[in-house]
Amino acid sequence: MSLLSLIVFAPLAGALLILAIPNTRTKAIQGVAAASSAVCMIFSGYLYYAFDKSTAAMQFIEKVSWIPAFNISYHLGVDGLSVTIVALTALLTLVSIIYSFNITLRVKEFFFWFLLLEVGMLGVFVSLDLFLFYVFWELTLVPMYFLIGVWGGPQKEYAAIKFFVYTLFGSLVMLLGILALYFNSAPHTFDMLELARQSSLFPLNFQIWVFLALYLGFAIKIPAFPFHTWLPLAHVEAPTGVSVLLAGILLKMGIYGLLRVSFPVLPLAAKWFMPFFIVIAVINIIYGALVAMAQKDLKKMVAYSSINHMGYCMLGMAAMTTIGFNGAVLQMVTHGLITGSLFLLVGVIYDRAHTRDIDAFGGLGARFPIFAGLMTIQVMASLGLPGLAGFVSEFLCFLGAFEAWPYYVAASAIGILVTAAFFLRMIEKVFLGPFNEKWAGLPDMNLRELVAIVPLAVLTLVIGLWPRFCLDLIDPTITYLVGIVNR
Amino acid sequence: MLEYVFILPLLSFAVAGVILAFGKWLPGRGASAGIAVAAWGFAQAAILFTKAIQGKLALPYEVSIPWFSVGSTQATLGVYVDGLTIAMLVVVTAVSLLVQIYSIGYMRGDPRFKRYYAYLSLFTASMLGLTISDNMLVFFMCWELVGVCSYLLIGFWFEKPSAAYAGKKAFITTKLGDLGFLVGLLSLFYCTGTFRISEILELAHIGFIPPAAAGAAAILLFLGAVGKSAQFPLLIWLPDAMEGPSPVSALIHAATMVAAGVYMVARLYAVYALSPVALDTVAWTGAITALTAASMALVCFDLKRVLAFSTVSQLGYMMLGLGAGGFTAGMFHLTTHAYFKALLFLAAGSVIHAVHTNDMREMGGLKNKMPVTYITFLLGALALVGIPPFAGFFSKDAVLAAALARNPYLYAVGAVAAAMTAFYMARALVMTFHGEPKDMKKYDHAHESPPVMTGPLILLAAASVVSGWALSRHEIFERLVNFEGVLPFELHHVSHGAVALYAGTVAVLSMGLGAWLYKSKPGIPAMLRGKFAPVAGLLDRRYGLDAFFLKFVALGDRLSSVLFIFDLNFLDAIAIDGWAWLTEKLSRIQRWFDDNVVDAAVDATGTVTLCAGRLARLAQTGIVQNYLLFIAVAVSVFAALAFAG
Repeated sequence: MSLLSLIVFAPLAGALLILAIPNTRTKAIQGVAAASSAVCMIFSGYLYYAFDKSTAAMQFIEKVSWIPAFNISYHLGVDGLSVTIVALTALLTLVSIIYSFNITLRVKEFFFWFLLLEVGMLGVFVSLDLFLFYVFWELTLVPMYFLIGVWGGPQKEYAAIKFFVYTLFGSLVMLLGILALYFNSAPHTFDMLELARQSSLFPLNFQIWVFLALYLGFAIKIPAFPFHTWLPLAHVEAPTGVSVLLAGILLKMGIYGLLRVSFPVLPLAAKWFMPFFIVIAVINIIYGALVAMAQKDLKKMVAYSSINHMGYCMLGMAAMTTIGFNGAVLQMVTHGLITGSLFLLVGVIYDRAHTRDIDAFGGLGARFPIFAGLMTIQVMASLGLPGLAGFVSEFLCFLGAFEAWPYYVAASAIGILVTAAFFLRMIEKVFLGPFNEKWAGLPDMNLRELVAIVPLAVLTLVIGLWPRFCLDLIDPTITYLVGIVNR
Repeated sequence: MLEYVFILPLLSFAVAGVILAFGKWLPGRGASAGIAVAAWGFAQAAILFTKAIQGKLALPYEVSIPWFSVGSTQATLGVYVDGLTIAMLVVVTAVSLLVQIYSIGYMRGDPRFKRYYAYLSLFTASMLGLTISDNMLVFFMCWELVGVCSYLLIGFWFEKPSAAYAGKKAFITTKLGDLGFLVGLLSLFYCTGTFRISEILELAHIGFIPPAAAGAAAILLFLGAVGKSAQFPLLIWLPDAMEGPSPVSALIHAATMVAAGVYMVARLYAVYALSPVALDTVAWTGAITALTAASMALVCFDLKRVLAFSTVSQLGYMMLGLGAGGFTAGMFHLTTHAYFKALLFLAAGSVIHAVHTNDMREMGGLKNKMPVTYITFLLGALALVGIPPFAGFFSKDAVLAAALARNPYLYAVGAVAAAMTAFYMARALVMTFHGEPKDMKKYDHAHESPPVMTGPLILLAAASVVSGWALSRHEIFERLVNFEGVLPFELHHVSHGAVALYAGTVAVLSMGLGAWLYKSKPGIPAMLRGKFAPVAGLLDRRYGLDAFFLKFVALGDRLSSVLFIFDLNFLDAIAIDGWAWLTEKLSRIQRWFDDNVVDAAVDATGTVTLCAGRLARLAQTGIVQNYLLFIAVAVSVFAALAFAG
C-alpha cells in the first residue's frame, strides 16, 4: 500500500482538477480544494492511527528507483520525527483552505498554488532521499512566491521576491552540502538512512563544512538569528491562510532538516556546533520576544513571537538529549497549532476592522466574547500556560537543555517573561478597558472562521492535557536518534 | 477515603466547564453547581481532617498514574496526602465554599455572573490540584493556573482600565518570580532526577542532595514564592489586585493562592532544611515583608488596600516562621490567617457593597447600620491583631516564639510589625464603623447585607474566634503538621509564656492607642501626617517599589524599540537589502564588463576573422592562369629549398 504517496499527491490531483474548472465557478473550485485537502487529511489521520508506536524504524516505506545512474530513488517513509508533522501539515492546510474561502481574487490560481504548496511541504517531510527532499524543498518556494506576491498586502511584491531570493540562496548552499555528501559517500548515495549509517566515515573537518552549508539553508527557514528578517515581512504581507502555513509548517522545515539530516549524518559537526547553536537559540528567544514587544501591528507581533518560539526548539536541540529533542519536536507541533490559530484570529479581526493596529481597538472582550475567548486561550497557550499545548513542549525544551547549559537556560527564561508582557499588554489594549464604539457594528466570528479555528483550539487543549497524544509517537524515534547522534 | 481525594480537583474542574457551557439553565445560573461541589469538597476535607487527628489514616498516602514519558524520564499525575496536605485542603475548601455562598449576594445582577462562578470553580480546581499534587511538575502547572485565574478575576470588571491594568500587573509580577521557580525546579530535577515530592523529600532526608545545590534550588524556588505570596520586593501587585471583586480578594488574595508560596516552602521543607542560607533567606524576606507592608498599611485610606497590606504582612510572618525553623508555627498562622483574613475581606466587601466606596474617609459610624458586619469585622480584627484568646494570638505567638528561638533580631522586627498591625487595624475599625458618618448620602444609603452574605461572615467569625485555641489544644495541629527532619541550626530555648505575655500586651496597648487616637483625637494623626509628610509620602509610594519596577519596564520597552530599529535598519536594511543592493550593483558592473569587454572581445574576434577573410579573398581571383602561376612559383620555391637543404 502506498499510503504516503496518496497523502502527498492527493492535493496534486486536486490542483490539476482545479485547472480544469472554469474561473467563474468559485464554489466548485473551493469545493475541490477543500475536498482534496480533506482526503489528504483523512489519509494522514489514518497514518497517525496506524503508525506503530513501538518502533523507531521507518514505516510505510516506499522505494522505487528513479534515476539509477545517480543512485537516486523515490524513497518515502515516516518515523516518529515526521509523522506528527505530516498530520499537522494536512490539518493546517485544510483549515487554511476553509478559512481562505473568503478570497475573491483569482480564486482558481489561489487554490492551485495552495494545493501545490501542500504537495511540496508534505513531500519534504516524507522524503528519505536527499535529492527528492531537495526537489520538494524547492517545490514549496514557487507557490509561496505567487501566494505572497499576488494575494498579499501592500508590500507584497517586495516581500515575495525577498522571501524567494533569500530562501533560494540558502537552499542553493544547502544543495552544495548535499552534493558534497553524495560525492563523499561510498557508494555514492542520496539515501538519508544510508548516509546516517556512513556518518562515522566522514572526517570532522568535512562534517563541519557540510554542516555549515546545510545549516545556512535550514537556519534561514527556521529562521535563526541573524537570518530571520525575511520572516516578519513575508508573514505580514501574506494573506491569512498563507501566513498560517508559513509559520505553522515552513519554519518547521528548518528544524526538521536539522534533526533529519544534519544531526544523524554529521554528528561530530553537530557536537562541534552546539556551543554556537545554544547562543543563537538564546538570542532567538530573548531578541525575538523583545522585538515582538515593540510591535504595534498584531500580525507583526505574532510573527516576531514565532522567532522567539523557534528559539525554544533550538534550545531543546542544543543539549542533544532525549528530553530536549522530544521537546523540540513537540514544540514544532504545538507552535504550528498555536501560532497557526493566532494568525487565523488576527485575520478574523483584520477582515472586519481592516486594521491590525493594536492601539486602534479597546474593550472588544465585552462585545465579542467568542473571539476574545479563543484569542485569550491561544495567547495563553503561546505564553506557555500549563494545561495548554505550549507548556509541555517548552518545558521539555528547558528541561532537556538545562543539564548541559544551565546558565543559558536561566537566561532564556527571560523570554517567557517578555512574551507574557507583550501578549498581556496586547490583550489589555484590544479586549479590555472601555469599549471603543467605533467597532460597535462588527459581528462576532462566523461559522467558516469557527470551523477553521476551533479544531486547532481543541487540539491545543488536548495536547496540553494529554501530551502522550503526540509524545508516544515521537519518543521511540527520538530515543533512537539521540543514541546515534551521541554515538 | 483517601482514594477519592483525586476527585476533588477534577470535579471542580468539570463543574467549571459545566457552568460555562450550561450555566444559563442551572439553578442560580450555575452558582448552585459550584457551591454543591465546594460543599462536597469541604465535607471530604473535614472528614479527612477528623480522621487524621484521630490517627485513623495511614499517612503519607501516595498514588500516581503515568502522564507521559520521554526517554527514561517519566512525568506522573498523582496524589500525595500528609498532614500538611490535609491542613491546606481544609483551608482551601472551607474558604472556597463560604466565598461562593457569599458571592451569590455580592455578585447578584452582574452581567457576567455565570462566568464568575466558572472562574471560581476553575480556581478552586487549580488550588486543590496544587495542594494534593504528588510531584513538582504538576504543582508548578497548578501554580501557574491559579495565577491565571487570579489574572482573570482581578480583571473581572475589565471595562475599568484600572482593573485590567491590575490583572496584568499581578500576572507579570508573579511571572517574574516564577522564572526563579522554573529554574529552581529544573535544578532540583537535576539534583534528584525526579519530580516526585516523596522521592525529593526522601533524598533530602538521607542527605543525597548536596547542601549547596539544595540551597541554590531552594532559593530559586523561593523566588516563585516571593512573587506568588507577595513578599518583598515583589509585593507591589497585591494592593492593586484589590480591583477585583471582594470575595475574590478573600479567597485568592488572602486565604489560598497567596498562601501557596508558603505552602510550597513547607512542602519542600526538607530541602530548605539542608541549607541554613536558604532558611535565613526565607526568614529575613518574611521579616522585612512583615514590617514594610505593615508600615504601608498605616497611612492607607482604602479599606481593602489596608487589608491587602495586612495580608502581605501576615504572609511575611508565615515565611518568618518557616524560615526561623518554626515549621508548625508558619503553617498554623497560615491556617488561622485564612479564616480571619477571609472574614475581614468579606466584611469589607459587605461594607463596600453598602456604601459603594473603598475610601475609609467617606465611611464612619456604620456600626449602627450594619451590626453583623461590624461585630464580625471586629472579631476578625481582634484575631488578626492577636488579642488573646482569638485565633491570631496563638499562631502569631508561635511564629514570634520561633523567631526568638532562632535570632533576636528576627523577633524584634516581627514584634514591631505586630505593634503596627494592632495600630492600623484599630485605625481601620474606627474610621469605618465608629465616629460620625463622613458622607451622609452614602451613610443613608447603607444597609446590612442579606443573610446569604452575613451567614458566611458569622461562620468565619466563629472560626476566627476558636480556631487558634481549638487547634492548639492537645497540640492537635502540631501533631498533624510537623517537620520530622533535622534543622541546620541550633535553636535557643524560649519561654512561650513570656513571648505570649509580651505579644498580648503590645497588641492590646497598640490597638488601644490607635482606637483612642482615631476616635477621640482625630487631629493628632492628621497633624502627624503633616509633620512627617516625607515619611507618609514614602509609605504612600510603597517605598518607591512601584516606581522602581516601572523603570524596569520602561527600560525593557526602550531596549525592545532599540532592538526593533536595529532589526529593521541594520540587520534587514544593511545586511540583507544592502547585500542585495551590492549584488545588483555588481551585476551592473558585470553587465558593463560583459558589454564592453567580453562582448567587445567576441565582436573583435568576429571583425578580425572577417578582415582576414576579406584579405584571403583577394587571392581567390577565379582565373586559372593565376593559380598556375602560384603553383609554378610555389614548386620552384620548394625545389630551391630542397636543393639548398
